[in-house]
Amino acid sequence: MSGASKSILAVDDSASMRQMVRYTLEGAGYEVVQAADGVEALDLAKTRGVDLVLTDVNMPRMDGITLVKELRGLDTYKFTPMLVLTTESGPETKQRGKQAGATGWIVKPFNPDQLLATIARVL
Amino acid sequence: MLPTSIEIANADAPPLADWTPEQQIAQMLELCEAQVESATCESDLAVDALVKAFSGLAETARALKASAATFTPEQRAALGDLDLKKQMEAIERQMTSAVVAFQFYDKLTQRLGHVRYSLSTLALFVCDRAQATQREQWRRLFTTLKRLYRTEEEKQIFQMMVEGASADEARDHIHQSTQTIRAGTVGDIELF
Repeated sequence: MSGASKSILAVDDSASMRQMVRYTLEGAGYEVVQAADGVEALDLAKTRGVDLVLTDVNMPRMDGITLVKELRGLDTYKFTPMLVLTTESGPETKQRGKQAGATGWIVKPFNPDQLLATIARVL
Repeated sequence: MLPTSIEIANADAPPLADWTPEQQIAQMLELCEAQVESATCESDLAVDALVKAFSGLAETARALKASAATFTPEQRAALGDLDLKKQMEAIERQMTSAVVAFQFYDKLTQRLGHVRYSLSTLALFVCDRAQATQREQWRRLFTTLKRLYRTEEEKQIFQMMVEGASADEARDHIHQSTQTIRAGTVGDIELF
C-alpha cells in the first residue's frame, strides 16, 4: 500500500495520538500535516491543500465536526474525503458528523492496517 | 486498602467558623480531583518519553528494513539462518500492537478528565444546599454528567451504576474491558 504524493491533515489535541497517526501514515508513504485543534487545522487547510482530512471530535477551540462543516463550506474542500477518528461511538454524534459532511467514522483505537485500507478506499 | 475513616481537619488549626458537612465533602472531592490531576500530569510526562522512544525505534526499524532491501544475494547468504525479512515483519507486527496500545492511554486521559470534571461539579453541587436538597436537581446533575461520558465503556458503567449495580459489578465490567484490550480489539469503521 503506497500513498505516494498524497497529503493528509491529521487533527488531534493529543500529541501521542498525532504521533501514532503520523507513524502509521508516513509508513505507507503519505505526507502528514498535523494540527492540534480545529482552528489550527482550518488555517493550515486554507494555506495549503491536502488530499484528505483525518480529525478527532473533542478538541479545544474548535471541535472536529465544526471543522468538517467549515471545510465543506470552502470550494477547495467540497469533495475532499474527511474521516472522523474518535472515541465517540454514539449514533447522535455520528449523525452530526454525517450531516456536517464527514466521509466516514472511525472509532479509536484504530488498527493501522484497517486505517490505511479505509484511507486508500476513500482517496 | 482504603482507610476506614478520613480526617482532613488539622488538629492544631483553629476550628472553622463556617464548618459544614457539605463543605467537608466538597473539600474531599476536590482533594480527589487534585490527586487524579497530579497523577495524570505525571503519566503524561512518562508517556511522552515512551512515545519519543517508540518513534526512535520505528525510524530505526524502517531504516534497517530499507537497508536490508538493498542486500545482494551473497550478503543475505552470509547472514546464514538470520532471516532479516522475517525479523522485520515481526518488528512491524509489534509496532502495530504498540500503536493500538498507545491509543488506550489517550482514552484513559479522556476518561480521567471526565472523572475530574464530575468530582469538581459534585463539589460545587453539594455546597449549594438549595440544590442539593432537591431530588429534581440531583436528577439534572445526573443528566449533565451522563452527557459528559463519550466512550462506550463510560456510558455502560454509568448506566450500570445508575440502574443499581454495585461497585463490584462495575469492577467486573472494567475487567472485561481489559480483556478486550488484551485481545487487541479495535474500534468500528463506518463509511457514510
